[in-house]
Amino acid sequence: MKKPILRVAPPYDESEIRSITQGFEALFGKKLDFEVVPDESLLGGFVARIGNRVFDASLSLSPFREDKVLSARDMDFLEDEEQQLESVSDFLRRRIEQADLSPDIYESGSVKSCADGIVQIDGLPHSRYGELLSFEGGIVGLALDLRLDGVGAVLLGGESVLPGTQVRGTGHVADICVGEELLGRVIDPIGRALDGKALNATQFRPIECPSPSIMHRAAVNTPLETGILAVDSMIPIGRGQRELIIGDRQTGKTSIALSAILNQKGKGVLCVYCAVGQKASSVAGVVHTLEQAGALSNTVVVSASAADSAAMQYIAPYAACSIAEHFMLQGRDVLIVYDDLSKHAVAYRAMSLLLRRPSGREAYPGDVFYLHSRLLERAAKLSPALGGGSMTALPIVETLAGDISAYIPTNIISITDGQIYLESELFNAGVRPAINVGLSVSRVGRSAQTKAMKQVSGSLRLSVAQYRDMAVFAQFGADIDAATAQMLRDGERLTELLKQPQEELLSLSRQVCLLLAAEHGVFSETPVAEVLHRRTALLSVLAAEEGSTLRAIDSSGTLTQAQQDSLVACMERFKARKDGEGDAADA
Amino acid sequence: MSEHNGEGVIIKIGGPVLDVEFEGEAPRVRDLLISADGKHMEVAANASPGVVRCIALEATDGMRCGTLVKNTGHSIRVPVGEAVLGRVVDVLGRPIDELGPIEAPVSEIYRKPPAFTSLTPVTEFFETGIKVIDLLTPYSRGGKIGLFGGAGVGKTTLIMELIYNIANHHGGYSVFAGVGERSREGNELINDMRESGAISKTALAFGQMNEPPGSRMRVAATGLTMAEYFRDVMHKDVLLFIDNIYRYVQAGNEVSALLGRMPSAVGYQPTLSSELGELEERITSTKDGSITSVQAIYVPADDITDPAPATIFSHLDATTVLSRQVSEAGIYPAVSPLESNSRILDPAIVGKEHYEVAGLVQTCLHRYQELRDIIAILGMEELSPEDRKIVARARRIQLFCSQPFFVAENFTGMQGRYVTMEDTVKSFGAIVGGEVDDLPEQAFFMVGNIDEAHQKAKEMQ
Repeated sequence: MKKPILRVAPPYDESEIRSITQGFEALFGKKLDFEVVPDESLLGGFVARIGNRVFDASLSLSPFREDKVLSARDMDFLEDEEQQLESVSDFLRRRIEQADLSPDIYESGSVKSCADGIVQIDGLPHSRYGELLSFEGGIVGLALDLRLDGVGAVLLGGESVLPGTQVRGTGHVADICVGEELLGRVIDPIGRALDGKALNATQFRPIECPSPSIMHRAAVNTPLETGILAVDSMIPIGRGQRELIIGDRQTGKTSIALSAILNQKGKGVLCVYCAVGQKASSVAGVVHTLEQAGALSNTVVVSASAADSAAMQYIAPYAACSIAEHFMLQGRDVLIVYDDLSKHAVAYRAMSLLLRRPSGREAYPGDVFYLHSRLLERAAKLSPALGGGSMTALPIVETLAGDISAYIPTNIISITDGQIYLESELFNAGVRPAINVGLSVSRVGRSAQTKAMKQVSGSLRLSVAQYRDMAVFAQFGADIDAATAQMLRDGERLTELLKQPQEELLSLSRQVCLLLAAEHGVFSETPVAEVLHRRTALLSVLAAEEGSTLRAIDSSGTLTQAQQDSLVACMERFKARKDGEGDAADA
Repeated sequence: MSEHNGEGVIIKIGGPVLDVEFEGEAPRVRDLLISADGKHMEVAANASPGVVRCIALEATDGMRCGTLVKNTGHSIRVPVGEAVLGRVVDVLGRPIDELGPIEAPVSEIYRKPPAFTSLTPVTEFFETGIKVIDLLTPYSRGGKIGLFGGAGVGKTTLIMELIYNIANHHGGYSVFAGVGERSREGNELINDMRESGAISKTALAFGQMNEPPGSRMRVAATGLTMAEYFRDVMHKDVLLFIDNIYRYVQAGNEVSALLGRMPSAVGYQPTLSSELGELEERITSTKDGSITSVQAIYVPADDITDPAPATIFSHLDATTVLSRQVSEAGIYPAVSPLESNSRILDPAIVGKEHYEVAGLVQTCLHRYQELRDIIAILGMEELSPEDRKIVARARRIQLFCSQPFFVAENFTGMQGRYVTMEDTVKSFGAIVGGEVDDLPEQAFFMVGNIDEAHQKAKEMQ
């Protein structure tokens, strides 16, 4: 064992030292030969270090106390010693009359080495797996490799620490503040506010929690409307579903997720947006958009930007998930967006390689699947016994050159309940949202649609996919029968109808109307280029003439035969008019 | 348990792998240990004298070095016999369906494969009601069937349809092992089975993807042990569904490096083939009874040459390959007709007519694939009339391979179809024989037998 050290604030005299020494000797039951060091910085009192134990009875603020999150909460194994130390603290109380100070006792280790954010620590034998460690100076680390004589940890801040730096365990596994206070706020993955305002959270939740078990789940059966016609009709998302948004860069992945968040305004669904490895300016842009639309007040933004350490990016989605989980357990409906998990995988790969764990395919570690599966499995629809809350997850993955069969994309596709695949070719061809219907699926499917939508969407997805396939084949100049030619004509118009400007969110009733119109061939005579224009005209005519029907559909989620008939009649009237007249009604 | 099993103490924790030091007699490999805070772990190796390396069967978050550990003196034990029917258990055989404890005999999950002399070859056809499967990759009773597919091409839907078609009409006992798949699907399967009543003849074991690797690694053996008991002790014909066997390999991969093994090709564990052989060789039929197994196999990164699926191939009697190209065209089940095969596609077993029709269908599709490039460059007009006919028939066959599923009614909005073998052979025979060249292509999409295609064509006109 290293020589015990006693740092004492001057002035002191030999008798005081002797009395402290005797106190500790009684405690440890052996002779202690302290190396006494005068230390002005303590202001008063003393700090004794015996082996791994530190007894801080000084007046100075401990270097570890800077961070309020990190107070020792359940170091139960130290309680006995605290009692035995009564004699020492009694002495202290007599000496420093003004201070009603109980000594701060903790286990301390010291940094052995530090490279690339990976720290090896001597001591801290009682650390727990995944415990937060606090370094002198307020830097935080995460214990990932436990041995009896030391700990391997990653730094969560980007800073490095010097060998010899003191470390203490915080006694609790990494956690994050949760609760209503976070709504409308931007925080980092360890709960520090990034928006410059004070944050006073009182509740905490570990960032790694077991996901709801099989029996604690309920079937996904309530729609989570995104306001995007192509998604809500063909790739419906239910509350509690995990739907991947996948595509190359600049194909509108984040905009779909953002539309989904914006469309939750006033629907009682809370949102969490988690940015991993994004440019800080992009995150600021997202926050701005949300604020402009008035949707920030029911949204929490968790951000680990590209400048943050790999470890920080690694824990960000888990932290964000815990925030959402807290709401879910209160019976609320939550929507969480992870933007994006390919960067998360890259951060985890960096961390794993630095921890010298062997790598597999594409140099990702073997457990990169579990990395995402345990995260995404936490999104669920809870059974009524657990409050019936739900967490819908929209993870985003970026592909390279449209390759969805790469390792990370296929991993995540195999975890989620479906995917929305965006294609740059479609995007460039002006189809926006650039959804490839053939490759996009929703495994929860139609059980998560309202009755009205179910009625009108039918096998829309299959016919669109068939149209795309047939369109390619028809290019070869094959003889096509009349039925196929008709299918091609309808398909062209349908594709046009599914285009939707980014800022436009369509309510259920308007989506139902558009699909009804397509079904009844309202646009079958319209030239393809004018479909978008005519559809806008139709919507405004319907709003003017059938406003009450639309509102009834929105509130009930059903479409009665009478309602359908009256809508169709209105559409027929619209179709009968010439284009110019339609515009007149528009104006 | 006897006293000498002793107590150990955790001295190292690195993710899902722990080192435990025992003062007295060290546990044997595969012994089940329980820590003072109630976490289970299985001994994987003797690291050094007195120290064993273990795989945690539960998450290790919050665990500490210095925690006491007890040896149970046996490997994982799971309940077996009729009492497990209708029940849902985890990897340790503990009920997770909240229906109270299971009173049943227990069996350790590590057993030897059946003796060579007790094995029986598989020769009997087994109808699934799914056209493309019955025609091109016929399954055999007591055989081992693999469903290969990348992410999201419909493996789980197909396995659910097979459960619906076979288990519901099979009459015998079934075992379902959920290995590393979605918890939501587990929940849906249980609810569906409860609704249909099929659960009363089914035992389910789950170690889904939210669980640590140790659990996903062993739960296949948990399910298999239950199936073996039905076969060996109760002399039954059992159906064993495993979704997804690839996750078993993957879980082994996750812990392999932490156990200190050097990685092999593509980062897999060096023990890949022995780990698989150990499990797969137990899934077989004996003179006592049969196990017909249907295993879903995930193909990582759509790469069928990946070491894991490549190793699993050799263990199977029939392989159904699901392909992304087919699913992109909106054809479900997305069976790739040319990549799938079966050992019993043999005139002596399935009959001459079936064998010939299957052969003609494959030839036709193969020729179409060859012609595709020519079409892409020169256009349809350049083809000979004979080839044009082949293209037209091949496209009809491709569309006819689609079939509405009972379990996908929610998704397709169409009622499921069960097509008998006889109908299947007759229908495909009609297409390759050129009897239905005049029907529009769309009439073949999402229908049952050929009569339905006729009817759909009529409706379209």
